[in-house]
Amino acid sequence: MSESTANLAPRPVNPLLADEPGARRLLLGNEAIVRGALEAGVNLVVCYPGTPSSEVPDTFRRIGGGGRYRLEYSVNEKVAMEVGAGASLAGALTLVTMKHVGVNVAADPLLTMTYTGLPGGLVLLSADDPGCHASQNEQDNRTYARFAGMPCFEPATAQEAKDMTRDALLLARELEQPVLLRTTTRVNHLRGAVEYGPLGQAAPIVPFQRNPRRFVPVPAVARVRHAELVRHLGTAREKAEHSPWNTVRGDGRFGVIASGISRAYLSDALHETGWADRVKVLDLGMTWPLPEDLLTDFLSECDAVLVLEELEPLLENDVRALVQRKGLSVAVSGKGGALTIYGEYSTQTVTQALADLLGETARLPMACDPETALPVRPPNLCPGCSHRALYYAVRKVFGDDAVYSSDIGCYTLGLLPPLRMADFLFCMGSSVSSGSGFATASGKPTLAFIGDSTFFHSGITGLVNAVFNKHDLIVVVLDNGTTAMTGHQPNPGVIQEVLGNACVHLDIEAVVRGCGVADVVKVRPFNVKSTMKALAEMKERSGVRVIIAEEPCVLYARRTLKKPRNQVAYVAEQGPGVVDCLENLACPAFFRDDTGIHVDENLCGGCMVCLQVADTIKARKRSDA
Amino acid sequence: MSTAATAKGRIRIYLTGVGGQGTLTATTLLARTALDQGLEVTSGEIHGMAQRGGVVESTILLGGWMSPKIGHGEADLILGFEPLETLRGMTHLAAGGSVLSNTEPLPPVGVSTGREAYPEMERIRAKVEGCAAKSWFLPCRTLGLQAGSVQAGNSVLLGAACATGLLPFGPEALEAAIRVHLAPKLMDMNLRAVELGVRAVASAS
Repeated sequence: MSESTANLAPRPVNPLLADEPGARRLLLGNEAIVRGALEAGVNLVVCYPGTPSSEVPDTFRRIGGGGRYRLEYSVNEKVAMEVGAGASLAGALTLVTMKHVGVNVAADPLLTMTYTGLPGGLVLLSADDPGCHASQNEQDNRTYARFAGMPCFEPATAQEAKDMTRDALLLARELEQPVLLRTTTRVNHLRGAVEYGPLGQAAPIVPFQRNPRRFVPVPAVARVRHAELVRHLGTAREKAEHSPWNTVRGDGRFGVIASGISRAYLSDALHETGWADRVKVLDLGMTWPLPEDLLTDFLSECDAVLVLEELEPLLENDVRALVQRKGLSVAVSGKGGALTIYGEYSTQTVTQALADLLGETARLPMACDPETALPVRPPNLCPGCSHRALYYAVRKVFGDDAVYSSDIGCYTLGLLPPLRMADFLFCMGSSVSSGSGFATASGKPTLAFIGDSTFFHSGITGLVNAVFNKHDLIVVVLDNGTTAMTGHQPNPGVIQEVLGNACVHLDIEAVVRGCGVADVVKVRPFNVKSTMKALAEMKERSGVRVIIAEEPCVLYARRTLKKPRNQVAYVAEQGPGVVDCLENLACPAFFRDDTGIHVDENLCGGCMVCLQVADTIKARKRSDA
Repeated sequence: MSTAATAKGRIRIYLTGVGGQGTLTATTLLARTALDQGLEVTSGEIHGMAQRGGVVESTILLGGWMSPKIGHGEADLILGFEPLETLRGMTHLAAGGSVLSNTEPLPPVGVSTGREAYPEMERIRAKVEGCAAKSWFLPCRTLGLQAGSVQAGNSVLLGAACATGLLPFGPEALEAAIRVHLAPKLMDMNLRAVELGVRAVASAS
């Protein structure tokens, strides 16, 4: 999402690339990560976009970099991880970025590259999403630091996002081991003043030295490398013991150990309550491996300790184990009450937990009563969105007889009534394979909806499987020509003119046919009649059938393709077709007032689908066209 | 304004509007204004699907806050870029806090289709006046169009906020920031919008 910077003035040299040590700039957390990577001398950035991580690669793309680094939008996170690992083997200082669930996709290579190590240095940015602001789950990827064996940094401010990214990359190169930079949505999307360090030069490439006994983990090698990983983690723990990111402040017999954004809530809660002089605080910024000596010293000086961490009680359980192992006598508290395993923390939840620790009463702010029964404002498919047109046609042809397997993208928003075009969803690419399974067990007509970027991400393997195992399924590829949901990033389906020289366009139909699908039809969803005809014909057939619904995203057509639609719809006469548009097409450009149903010209995307639904709706030239 | 907060110069501003309105650009502009004035700034935004017409909430915290989040009862000032969202956001207002709100609705889809009713402006005013120490209501869309575009309505609201005396800087700081940070072609229009916001506050008091 680039709305926040779209209208701000362009500068001759992008401020993120300015070599002005000591300068203070207001940066988005994700922009601060970019600056930190530049200060470390990053050579290569590889990503798959996903909120809340997307502004990191998108910023690298926007500022160009003048040859300082190479940027790649890979087709999925596993591929991104492997491209990054290969480049780091070849000696490049590499940053790989993705959202938390992407790390699941990338986990296979990740859990072995910590065995081999990566001489050029590699940092994985995992942008977690406590609170599920833009995600299907709120998994805690600090788990991966422990699972894969990676040192982990968790910034809480824009300044720390910059500095920890730099330090993580430098540590990755020093140890030759992958390092995790774990953020959460609040950190990715906060803005704060960032004081620059020197920009420096791009890092030197570390020459590759063939060493199959390190880099080819056949069982005999893997056994040795696992022991080697444990040794590396010991070295990393020494670093954590003395890290400037792990600090103790304050005095007293009550201790608080805090990590990630919880440190911000703690800091503000202590200021607001005036309890700062009653607790001793251990701020953990480098959170894995645990600085056990530092923790042991801290714990032995306390009678009671509160652990603050969002999501899983990882730190808390480790602290409890340490207390047991060292035979310490200190009461440990953490999860429970206001401190839940789900959702985000806040200054108020932390204030309550501090009050419980200190035996005080929390004075939480008074708020006015929430208003009930307000109209909701759910995100919606845009006016002029081709997904709405396609969904309208599918509902007309299949109704409630079919089952709809959805996927990750704008088109998931089709779940809302009246379209109701999503019955289940797990993750990127699941529409095709879960649709296959559902169809097999239920015998019901099943349609899988998948976007172009998601198809390339992980739809293809499901399609190959569906052909191979003779599943009975209609796959609808909603090809809007771009990665719309996350902000129009390149993917292999994007046309060559937009991709430019750096990338090559791949034809979805050729890929589908190459996967062995013989029953393939292309439709233009803005032509409702022919789309419905194609759907009705496919309904009568069986086996794996693919419909490619081709129409550029309305925003992308306007902004990037420079193809605005200069016609708008208007209601010439009220009638049942107009009501059908309002109630069943549910285009947000329609509204009802005392005089009837109308189209808001400013909102109308010009798709002209409504003209095909209601013959009393007509087209005219846009007023300002 | 909660007096304790003002006294310490620690102010929490909650901004709320609708995706596509440009409220995040406005938030960034106000945050940059504060930084240019030498203040400690933390700002935040939540906009998972902002371009798709959902609610967009953002925050600006001045004077040394570390968290970018504003919870219920914590905002010293609410800037509502859309009246229904002002009403929905009122739970964030601190005791003694103030509100500036646009009065011109962007109806959500349930209202457009006639399934839900948009709350009466009188209900919104009554709620705001019942909760806030001070409040101002401005027709931002109309004033924005007067300045040159609908989007300039955001600068009307920012200009008005700076003119209330509740912030540690006045409209001239915002004007200076507009000259530095906005694209030249947008500058004059936004300066006119700030002026309209300042005048609206002056005529209201």
